[in-house]
Amino acid sequence: MNAPAPIPAPQDATPIVAVENVGVHFPVSGGRTLKAVDGVSLEVRPREIFGVIGESGSGKTTLGRAVICLEKPSAGRILHQGVDPYTLSARELRRHRRRYQIIFQDPNAALDPRMTILKAIREPMDVAGELPERERRERAIELMERVGLSPDFAARYPHELSGGQKQRVCIARVLTLRPDLIVCDEAVSALDVSIQADILNLFAELQAEFGLTYIFITHNLGVVAHVSDRVAVMYLGRIVEIGRTEDVVLAPAHPYTEALLSAEPVALPAHLRAQNRVMLKGELPSPVSPPSGCRFRTRCRFAQPVCAEKEPPWRETAPGHLSACHFAGELPIMSGAELHPVKLGGALRPGRAS
Amino acid sequence: MDNTPPKPAAPLLDVRDLGIAFRTGAGLVQVTRDVTFSIAPGETVGLVGESGCGKSVTGLALMGLLPKATSRVSGEVVLEGENLVGMSQRRLRQRRGAKISMIFQEPMSALDPVFTIGQQIAETLRAHRDISPREARERGIEALARVGIPEPALRYDAYPHQLSGGMRQRAMIAIAIVCEPRLLIADEPTTALDVTVQAQIVDVLGDLCARLGMAMLFITHDLGLVAQTCSRLVTMYAGEVIEEGRIDEVLVRPRHPYTSGLLRSLPALAERKSKLPAIPGRVPMRGEMPEGCRFRPRCGFARPLCEMPQPLDRLGPSGQVRCCRHDELELMGVLS
Repeated sequence: MNAPAPIPAPQDATPIVAVENVGVHFPVSGGRTLKAVDGVSLEVRPREIFGVIGESGSGKTTLGRAVICLEKPSAGRILHQGVDPYTLSARELRRHRRRYQIIFQDPNAALDPRMTILKAIREPMDVAGELPERERRERAIELMERVGLSPDFAARYPHELSGGQKQRVCIARVLTLRPDLIVCDEAVSALDVSIQADILNLFAELQAEFGLTYIFITHNLGVVAHVSDRVAVMYLGRIVEIGRTEDVVLAPAHPYTEALLSAEPVALPAHLRAQNRVMLKGELPSPVSPPSGCRFRTRCRFAQPVCAEKEPPWRETAPGHLSACHFAGELPIMSGAELHPVKLGGALRPGRAS
Repeated sequence: MDNTPPKPAAPLLDVRDLGIAFRTGAGLVQVTRDVTFSIAPGETVGLVGESGCGKSVTGLALMGLLPKATSRVSGEVVLEGENLVGMSQRRLRQRRGAKISMIFQEPMSALDPVFTIGQQIAETLRAHRDISPREARERGIEALARVGIPEPALRYDAYPHQLSGGMRQRAMIAIAIVCEPRLLIADEPTTALDVTVQAQIVDVLGDLCARLGMAMLFITHDLGLVAQTCSRLVTMYAGEVIEEGRIDEVLVRPRHPYTSGLLRSLPALAERKSKLPAIPGRVPMRGEMPEGCRFRPRCGFARPLCEMPQPLDRLGPSGQVRCCRHDELELMGVLS
């Protein structure tokens, strides 16, 4: 197996999460193996917002679950601040994982319909059983207010709340245990845009306030580009490109990233949108038997014979900006400015309408 | 795609004061009211709004798909001069599939799992055209090829579960367009798909509209998609149409504070890491609809005048807005 090289953290602080050549494999029918995540390495620094973007079947959700020990790696290891959680005793692990939390896409499925809001928010503390009853209640109420829920909701049930309010409950709930890292798995994808904006603002405020680190998993490029410091692009169980968000979005080096950027519909008038689009051919190959060499080659507009023969090495096109492509940096890939002329915010708006 | 549609005198579809009410245990609940807009032949119009605004039920009402036992539809839906509201089921059936068709968000639940794709296309064809099974097969395979399904002759005999999500949606589209309808209603047709597949499907739809001269009502919550596929935009809020206009104009200069709020809350257009201008509050629940302008409790521009009922004012030849302050307000769009 030609595993990708570990990806260096851009700064030398101890990473809050180090994913080292991790594979998560599932047995499927016929004795075959589905490698949902296959040889992924990355490091997330404290207080960083790390985006993971990919389409269905890319392994992004499985990776997120592996990071917080909901899925045990079949290969490689995951280090939390230098510690491999699977070397801890069951009791230590239970304490340890409080600091590594996850928020899911669908708050309806995440909340117990028979539990009041207060009870749902208190539950993690009740399970941890450390604080006296009164303090748990106080902290729960405090967090409700912090996430923008009136304490009047305490005695209500999930069905009485809107989708955005329910997601706030989920956020308050994971904050009760004072986590260091929160994996947000499509946490705003089910919400309407106006509500989504509110929740994204809340995530940003909470990060500043509690010194949180987020791993933001989403298929929505707009969301990832807005919130994250660095981003990893996944395709068929592998990272194909990783780097600072500005670099990846402005100067994509992998043809798949180019296609993703190009496919994103932008709410701009016709004369300000990109005139050329990259349309991907065909469909995602089966993850049970991925293509040889570069996994993207079957749909890549630049594919060469070498792409089928050898797995692409990591190539660095800017400091900390790596792509798993034989020709990264040499391809006539459209730049972010060509793909989305006025889309990128603020200083990053090269082609702002005159 | 086509952004300069012709604007002929006679619209293909003219929706007037469409109101939908559902019968519930607690009596009749009004879900939408005064929904008014029109679609010219060959035109693509986007219908946007957030969940619960009534955009999907409006689509179903246009097709006459709301069950009479549980709903009441008022107003007019005039398709090529004929009012579909109140039309008999028998006559409606002759128009659905032939003149007006619909595709849905979840192709897996819209397709019948026990019939092949081919059988489902042929069913539509033979309901409307007097043709032999053999001819139906040829026409069906042609339709599959037209929506970009590779090896259409093979796929014709496939069952829905044998196709990927994107292929299923293409098959749905093939069924909908096989009789070359004048109007296609597409209700969130790409929401369940990945963005690269979405781009392919949107491409197919645009191509079909151009080649068949078909008009399309594109129902979605994604303003980016509307910008890309449609020439006009109809925005709904809390069961009412609140704005209508040419997409390129509305994006830059929205006339209703809600449309402006929607555009400004898009993270893709905001400065990175900046605080997003969200719309405060939430959509009112049925039964607690405010008097007058329904957006008033969330609107930063609300005045006492907004407590009066708000009519839909005409704006130029093809626009309308439901806001008494539209003349004085300078609202921000995607470039502000």
